[in-house]
This record gives sequence, C-alpha cells and structure tokens, in this order.
Amino acid sequence: MFQNRAEALALVLPAALFAAAVFLVPVVILLSDGFRDPTGGFSLAAYIEFFSSPLNQAVFLRTLKLGAMVTVVSAVIGYAAAFAIVGLTPTMKGRMTGLVVLPLMISPVARTYAWIVILGRTGIVNQAFQALGISDAPLRILFSETAIFIGLLQLFLPLMVISLISALENMPKDAVPAARVLGANWFQVFWKVILPLTREGLVIGGTLVFTGSLTAYITPAILGGSKVLMLETLMYQQVSVANNFVAASVIAFILIVMSFAANILLKRVATARNKVRSAK
Amino acid sequence: MNARSLFIPATLFLVLAFLIGPFLIIVAASFSAGETLAFPPQGFSLRWIAKVFTVDSFRASFAMSMFLAVGGTAAALVLGIPASYALSRYRLPGAEIVRTIVSLPIIVPGIIVGLALLRYVVVPFGVGITPALFLAHTALILPYAVRVVSASLDNLRSDIEEAAVLLGSSRMGAFFRVVMPNIKGGILSAFILGFVTSFNQVPVSLFLSGPGVRTLPVDMIAYMEIVFDPSVAALSSLLAFLSIGIVFAAERFLGFSRYV
Amino acid sequence: MSDAYLSLEKLTLAYGDTVAVGNLDLDIGKGELIALLGPSGCGKTTTMRAIAGLLPVKSGHIRLDGTDMTRTPPNKRAVGLVFQSYALFPHLSVYENVAFGLKLKGMRGSELDQKVRGGLTSVGLSSFADRKPAELSGGQQQRVALARSMVMEPKVLLLDEPLSNLDARLRLEMRTELQRVQKETGVTMIFVTHDQTEALSLADRIVVMKNGAIEQIGTPEDIYNRPASAFVADFVGFENIFALDQGKLKTEHGLADPSGALPGEALSAAGLAWRPRMVTLGSGPFRGTVRGTSFAGDRREYLLASDLGPIKAEVDASEPVHAPDAEIAFDLPAAKAAPLKRFA
Repeated sequence: MFQNRAEALALVLPAALFAAAVFLVPVVILLSDGFRDPTGGFSLAAYIEFFSSPLNQAVFLRTLKLGAMVTVVSAVIGYAAAFAIVGLTPTMKGRMTGLVVLPLMISPVARTYAWIVILGRTGIVNQAFQALGISDAPLRILFSETAIFIGLLQLFLPLMVISLISALENMPKDAVPAARVLGANWFQVFWKVILPLTREGLVIGGTLVFTGSLTAYITPAILGGSKVLMLETLMYQQVSVANNFVAASVIAFILIVMSFAANILLKRVATARNKVRSAK
Repeated sequence: MNARSLFIPATLFLVLAFLIGPFLIIVAASFSAGETLAFPPQGFSLRWIAKVFTVDSFRASFAMSMFLAVGGTAAALVLGIPASYALSRYRLPGAEIVRTIVSLPIIVPGIIVGLALLRYVVVPFGVGITPALFLAHTALILPYAVRVVSASLDNLRSDIEEAAVLLGSSRMGAFFRVVMPNIKGGILSAFILGFVTSFNQVPVSLFLSGPGVRTLPVDMIAYMEIVFDPSVAALSSLLAFLSIGIVFAAERFLGFSRYV
Repeated sequence: MSDAYLSLEKLTLAYGDTVAVGNLDLDIGKGELIALLGPSGCGKTTTMRAIAGLLPVKSGHIRLDGTDMTRTPPNKRAVGLVFQSYALFPHLSVYENVAFGLKLKGMRGSELDQKVRGGLTSVGLSSFADRKPAELSGGQQQRVALARSMVMEPKVLLLDEPLSNLDARLRLEMRTELQRVQKETGVTMIFVTHDQTEALSLADRIVVMKNGAIEQIGTPEDIYNRPASAFVADFVGFENIFALDQGKLKTEHGLADPSGALPGEALSAAGLAWRPRMVTLGSGPFRGTVRGTSFAGDRREYLLASDLGPIKAEVDASEPVHAPDAEIAFDLPAAKAAPLKRFA
C-alpha cells in the first residue's frame, strides 16, 4: 500500500470525474424532472398520475411479475444444470461451461430474432404442434408475455448457471456425503445443506437475472411488440411517441429503485447468512 | 442405465438446446435460399451472406459500431487503468465512493443513460451524436475495464514495484517496466469484454441516433422492421462467429476467464 | 558512536495517524551484520522499509555514509532489499532480473553481461540464466533476488525474513551463503526476523524490538545469556521468569525466597529468569506436582505446578523419570539465574 494521497487522487480523478460528468450528473437531473411541478417546486404529481393509469399499473406489475418468474425459473433450471456440470470431469466441465457462456457473446438482437423464427405463426413450434395434432390453427405465441418470458430466460439463464457452478464448486466437499451419512434424503440434502451453502451464488445469480430482466430492452421490444409493454419499452414509447419526458423520468426512477432494491435486498440476504456463519 | 445416470446428459442436452438452439437456427436460416427468415431453411445458398456486404447502411453502422467498440474501450482503459491502479495500490480515503461512481453505469438501465445524455449533454451543449455515443459507450465500458484490470492487479504482488524502485526505477518507470507487462493479459481481456459489451449494446444507443448515425444492432432492428429477409440472420451469424472466435482465441492464449 | 555508517536518529514512523515506531535511535557500523528481532507488529519491518525509503519518515533522520538521506527517494539510496516473497519480476528471465538495475544505471554490452554472469555465478545459478522465476525453487528464487540486489553494490543490504520461507536444509545453506557474501563483499547487512535462532546464528549484533521501540541491543551471546528485560528473556526461551521485590521472587501466592544468595549483579535487578534447562529436579527447596511430561530425544521436558506458579523444566533423558502427578522437589538456583534490568 502506497501512502501518497495526491498521487492516488491524480490517478483516480479522471475516471471518477468522467463517470460523474457523463453519467451521474445527467442521470440525476433526469430523475429530478419527475419530482418537479411546472413552477419548479417539489411535487409527486407525476408519480400519482403515472400510477393512476391502469395501463401503467399493468405494465409495472407485468415487469415485476416477469422479472420474478424469470429469476425463479432460471434458479430451478440453473441448479439442475449446475449440478450436472459440476459432476463432470474437469475437461468436460470446462467445455460445458464454455457452451453455457457462449450465448453471452452473441448479440441479443440475433438471439431475440431467433425466437421470432421459432415462435412465429409459421415457426417450428407451430409446425410441430400442427403436425402432432395438438392444435389445428397456428397458435399466437409471439407478442405475448410467454414470448418475452422465453426470450428473457434464454438471455439470462447463463448468468444464473455460472453463478451456481462457482457456488457449488466452493461448497465444502464433505458437506453432502456428511449429510447423507447422517441420514438425510436427497430432498433434505438440497434444502438443508446445498441451498444454505450456495445461497450467496444464488443471490448473485438472482440479482443479475432480475435486474437484467427488468432493464432488458430488445427482448420485450421485439417479442412483446407494441402492445405487451414492459417498463423499458413503455419508457421508450413515452419519449419517442408521446414526447412525455416527465413520464420517462418517472419510469426511469422506478426502474432504478427496483434495480437497487433488488440489489440491496439480495445482498442483505447474503450478509445475513455470513453473520450466521461467523457467529458459529 | 438408471434414472440418475440419465439425469446429467438429459439435463445438459435440454439446457444447451434451449441456450444454443436458437443461435443454430439463425445460422441455418442464413444459408436459406428463400426470401423470408424461416426455419427450416428453404434450399441452400450463400446469397444472404453475400447481401450483407452490399447493404450500405450496414457498412456505415458496422464502421460506427467498430469505432465505438474500439475507441470507447480504449478510452475506458486509459481512464480505467490508472483508477484501478490507485484503487488497488494506494490507501485512498473515499475509495468506495469512487468505486461506486465508476461502476454505476452497470447497474443503471442503459436506456436511462442514453436519454439523460441526450437531454442534458447533447441538446444543451450542442454535442454531436457521434461524440455523445462515444462518451456513452466509454462510460458503459469503464466499469468492466476497472473490474477486470483490478482483478489482474490484485493477482499481482505489489512488492515487485518496490523492488523495481529500489533497483533505481522511478515510480512511473516501475509501472511501465514491471506492472504493465504482467497485467497485459488482464488488459487484453478487459479490451475484449469491453468490445463485446459495446458492440452488442442497444439501449444506450437507442436515443442517440441521428440521420445516418446508428450503431449496427440498432440498424439491424430498424432493417428488420422493414425487410424480414435472412440477411440479418446472416449478419448476426457472421458477428457471432467473429466474437466467439475472438473470445476463444483469448481464452486459449490468455486464460481470459481468469479475469472476468 | 560517532563513526556509525548508518544511523537512525529519533526516527518516528507512522501509517496514517498510527505511530508504528517512535523516537528510535540506532547506530550501525560499516560491514556489520545486524538482526532486527521481534514479534510481528514490533516495528522491525517498518524500520526496514523506512531505511529503504519505501515508507516516508514522520520525524527524525536517517544518515548513511555521512549524508542525510531522510528525504532521498528510494531509487537514489543505494540500498538493496531482498523481499520475503523475493519479488522477482515474473515476466523477466533470471538473467534479465539481475540485469534490471544495472541497465537502469546505463550499463550496457559486455560490461553488463560480465556483471550479470558474475552475480549469477556467485550464487551458483549461472546455468539458470534463461529460466523464468516461476521455474525455480524457492531457494533458487531467493538467490536470484540476492544476486539482483548485490550486483548493484548497495551500501546497505536489507533482508526481510530471509530464512523463513525455506526448509531446514536450505536454511542452513542460505545462512552460510549470506555469511559468505557478507564476508566477501563487506556489505552492511540488516535483516528482519521473528525467529530468535535465525538472529542468533547469523547476526553480529541483534536489535530486539517491541512496540516500536528498541528493547535491547547486543551480541547474540548478550541476548541469549543476559536478556535485559522480561520480554527479551521470554523471547529467547527463558520460560521461568519472576519479578524481584526487595530480593524476593514475586509469585501468584505472594513473595518467595530465592534459593541461595543472589549474585552481586542481581541485587539491583528487577527480575530473575531461568531457562527450563537451568531448573534442577529431584532436590531443592521448592515442591511441585508433575502436570505434564514429554520426551524430546536426549531430553525430557516437565511442566510442574508449584507454589511459585507453573514451572517448565528440561533435564537429560538419562535422569530418573518422574511420573505424572508425582510430587517432587526442584530448585531454581539463584546463582544460575539471568538477572533482568527491567521487568515490564
């Protein structure tokens, strides 16, 4: 550790000032717009107006619901996938992890368009359904919550899987055999041993998936269309169609509060667990 | 085979099919001979791949995205490397505040960053769209640059700098002679991560577009709204193979994943 | 000492507002081999870093070879430092590591080559020139670090825990190596250690430090046989230590008469200390119960509970064995005791 404070400041200030000027200050001004009345005083009118619209309420709840669903489902699938991968030989483990991470390198635009091909009226899902006789007319899957859900899940599942892989790998090696020897069945082993020991990984993965789903734009824009909106797409519409910057500021604030709330909430869950551990 | 030994391959197959299947479909669709984006592809041809290179707007937006990804990442590294160095090597009051400010752009939704820049930097100060995009992408990459470079600095013992100084080097000389050569891998990894992040970024760039000034992904969305032909699939496939190739090479030669 | 080569005068060092070393005075002669000995946190490493210039001096002076270098930057001091972790440059070969400082001095060509090869030969590593540090063992890395510092012909060579990372065999080898280098070059060496055997076996003089101040300076014999304080006594293995109050031993159960007349120099002492080996078992004025015993090859160690408090004794393994819980007589002969000038 070097002691020279002036040197340290000279090194750190350009980055800090840049981030403040380009990012922090404009965003704070933007957020303050939603709290001002026409005369410039403080007012919550914009928020009351926003939440009194049934359409906005629906969009807000849909965003929360889809975020929560994607997080929960990705956790369930994530555990299964992470278990399967952790049990492999080191070489296979590396390759499989690579394949899981691979989609992250591909443009979300491309990944989302693939779902149009798959879920569209003449897409392979509808072709299969009709061939199997499950339905005789093409189902409308695109431009629905289901389509957004599938798209978001595919987008963010890799983040959950890699978080859980590293959590499972950091778990004490003997914990599961010890629990088995003590007579726990597999369900109890998961619930009482694995889940508490991997909670931090779950929290990290969960935060990434939830905030990712909340703030994704391309997926709801393409797979939800102009009718099934989420907060991000609603905000875009407010600006580009309605020219309503106050509403955009309100949505921005809600999005940021939701991201931070999720972040803090999940962090607290993780530290609560740490406290238990260090108290022992 | 009992149920448990089947569990692993079955789970892996289903998860990977879900994660990678859509990409494979896009790749297959880009070799289609048909007029619309569809799967299974109708016939086989390279016409859509060839077409990608003839669309003018793609060329312009590709150049723009390249410029933002390369330039933005380079700028983020120029700002981020000294900051990471200070955060990792100096006892600095307020280090946590700096860390938070610098990493905020990851947490705050990109669409908000784009809109805020448009309304409070571009419009009032008369900044052009291209410089604004450059600033936005630099701010967006900065957190990744700081994180990855910090990780590789933390893996490097700081006493080698003291050793260099005691052997006659200046403090700055020590940085360039013994620190830089040893965090090269981390810097290159940060570059790749920043590049991919910037190149695939949409929400930040959404509001920051003007006549003829667009990033490639935004341009692709705009193109698809008008023409639903397989050329976007072809372009996506090409880009995907490009980034996979870069990341694969980086992992092979640098151990990219150590830093990310 | 006015002819001191390196002198620290009223040196005060601090990390932020926490004072780590206060008002330290120390004179070191040219060509001396000095050990700074003490437990972690005693300020020995801090002092060494200040001599190297890696830590700014809060107040006081550091003089080397007639010049005040309190404010001289570390790269202009001609002080070498062999780090505990060796701090070799991982991206450079052994040869380039040793050449690093010489090149900065502007040395080039055959002169440089000769110097580097000479340095490597002197530590027995001439055939390892093209290896990377990671391909060497710990002992070899340390010798590279030594050569890297020595080719710079420093006025003072500092070594941080030079033997602590080595196994027993290499330790002996390195100890010999350091003594040889010191003898051949006459360089002034200061090393920091928490290990008394390391200090005793290597140093000309030992500086024992505690809480940022010097507790005692002396030859290894002085420190080993005549500790100045209870702290030093405890640190060099006197395990039975008592304060003296008006010529009597202070114990948990009040004052006790010492066994035999106090030697002259002990009359004014603040305390007395005995090594376990100085305790006589089987006879003497004190009685104790055997609480534990362990066999150590040629010796046997006992832990006794007595009116004086717990007593540690060590006798020849050939002497009669005392069973656990046996009550036996023992003696702490006043004539053998080391008198302590200070007790606190």
